Amino acid sequence: MSGIQFKNVSKLYQQGENQVLALDEISLTVEQGEFIAVIGPSGSGKSTFLAIAGALLHPSKGEVILNGKNLNELKPKDLAQLRLEEIGFILQTSNLVPYLNVLEQLLVVKRMAGKLAKADKEYAKELLQSLGLAAKLGKLPEQLSGGERQRTAIARAFMNNPSIILADEPTASLDSKRAHEVVQLIANEAKTRNKAAIMVTHDERMLEYCDKVYQMEDGRLKHDDSNSYEKLKAISTKG
Amino acid sequence: MFLAIKELKHGKLRFLMIGVITVLIAWLVFILSGLGNGLSTLSAATFKNMDANYVTFEDGSRASMSRSLLSELLAEKLESQPNVSAASAMGATMGTVLNNSDSETNEKVDIAILGITPDSFLEPNVFDGKPLQANKPLEVIANETLKKKGFKIGDTLKIEGSLEKMKIVGFVKNETYNHLPAIFTTLDKWRSIQFAAPGSNKGIEKPVNAIMLQGENIDSEKLNQLFKNTETVTKSTAVQGMPGYKEENGTIMMMLAFLLAISAFVLGVFFYVLTLQKSNQFGILKAIGASNRFLGRAIVSQVFLLSFISIAAGILLTYGTALILPDEMPFSLDLKLVILYALLLLVISILSSLVSVRKITKIDPLQAIGRME
Repeated sequence: MSGIQFKNVSKLYQQGENQVLALDEISLTVEQGEFIAVIGPSGSGKSTFLAIAGALLHPSKGEVILNGKNLNELKPKDLAQLRLEEIGFILQTSNLVPYLNVLEQLLVVKRMAGKLAKADKEYAKELLQSLGLAAKLGKLPEQLSGGERQRTAIARAFMNNPSIILADEPTASLDSKRAHEVVQLIANEAKTRNKAAIMVTHDERMLEYCDKVYQMEDGRLKHDDSNSYEKLKAISTKG
Repeated sequence: MFLAIKELKHGKLRFLMIGVITVLIAWLVFILSGLGNGLSTLSAATFKNMDANYVTFEDGSRASMSRSLLSELLAEKLESQPNVSAASAMGATMGTVLNNSDSETNEKVDIAILGITPDSFLEPNVFDGKPLQANKPLEVIANETLKKKGFKIGDTLKIEGSLEKMKIVGFVKNETYNHLPAIFTTLDKWRSIQFAAPGSNKGIEKPVNAIMLQGENIDSEKLNQLFKNTETVTKSTAVQGMPGYKEENGTIMMMLAFLLAISAFVLGVFFYVLTLQKSNQFGILKAIGASNRFLGRAIVSQVFLLSFISIAAGILLTYGTALILPDEMPFSLDLKLVILYALLLLVISILSSLVSVRKITKIDPLQAIGRME
């Protein structure tokens, strides 16, 4: 099956003599075309969750199935390949390569995969145009505003047409207008191109775009159906 | 290559500084190699140039002309041995000459006087004037150094501390012996200079210092057994036996070896610090799917480019330096050696970058997430 599936995933950290349970028996399925949010206080295990979803961290127990592949069974080299091809990571604002311009930020992803074709360049340009960055192709990250950088990071995540989109606090350090635009973009991509999207956030303003909201607390994940936005959405779609 | 070039262009100052260090190291390596080459030429050019394969010395002389005394008559016997195609004797002595024809330049010149058989394989080709003739013992051919010092063809040389006089009839190129310009004369003339004092020839008939042999695969062991009191060695051993040759070369080689070792560490540390600085960046690239191979290649190609350009600049600077060095300075660049050291430096800098590559493989892409709980 496609999408991403967590089956009883736990993660234990050894801190000195103490063991910290960062994730506790998490089970979750995100289908293609679905956009979910994970919220929770800091220290609740959100980042660990995202790192495991992004094949950056191995769970201590349980399995993660990504597009039918069990991540536990893959070698580090294959995991890098999987991240490249199947996962689009949207990281926090500053995480662009400082010496590459906007267009090159996208092209480097193609170069990692092998050869850069002419069509890739066209695709990258189209992608940046659709994100309103057509005039900024030759600019370095230091010459961009926070919003522009974040949109570049989103374009980079979409570049390889991944089936899973993972966003790590994508609205941190953005004003609310930009924040709305950015999350809308992710929601739009998930819907129109049928991708599974997970956003980890503090920002409750953004939950209206999500299909489901999960609350993370002390390593436990629970579906927050009391979430007013979801209810509102349900009502509005009915009506 | 893509990341490598982009970053080189972006961080110009940083890479310029590393580049300058590499240029300076390369420059020094090439200058030392030129100096080493120049010194060894000065010390033993005549031996290196001569068209011989083996040299027969007196037993116990440890391949040194100055310690060896043999009879020229031995040459004929050696020539009849298997694999020996020709044998010819040589004698060497040091001296000081004055230009007797030109009263203006009364500067004294130190020279090496080499006695050879005219027209033998030991006689170098003259590029100006005419060669030696057996029936004209007063005539000599001299290295071009003397020409530069104002000597001309037809000039008479007066040897200090001796009544002997000689006339220059020709000039040869690149013939130095024991750090001195060589003058070639007949064996008889040489003997009259060298053994002027009665009894100094130890009673040997037609004494010479050594006999040079032509021929591949000569069985030196057999020759040593056959001819008592002789010791036959290869030409390269004979070159090593030149006074000061081993010591000079050893000193230069030691300096070069240290320099190369130091450069490996200096460059290695620089690249490593640069890599550490960028470890967060590499973490991000890994998180979005870059393999170790991709990032490792970026580093190595960057180091390759930087070193290649710097070493090329070092070569240019070295040839520039060679132009302004004074003539007397024993400096001669051998293109083969320059290429060899250039490649060696390139290999060293790439090897030193491998420490950084190893570091990259250990960078955890989790860094990109930034705030692990």
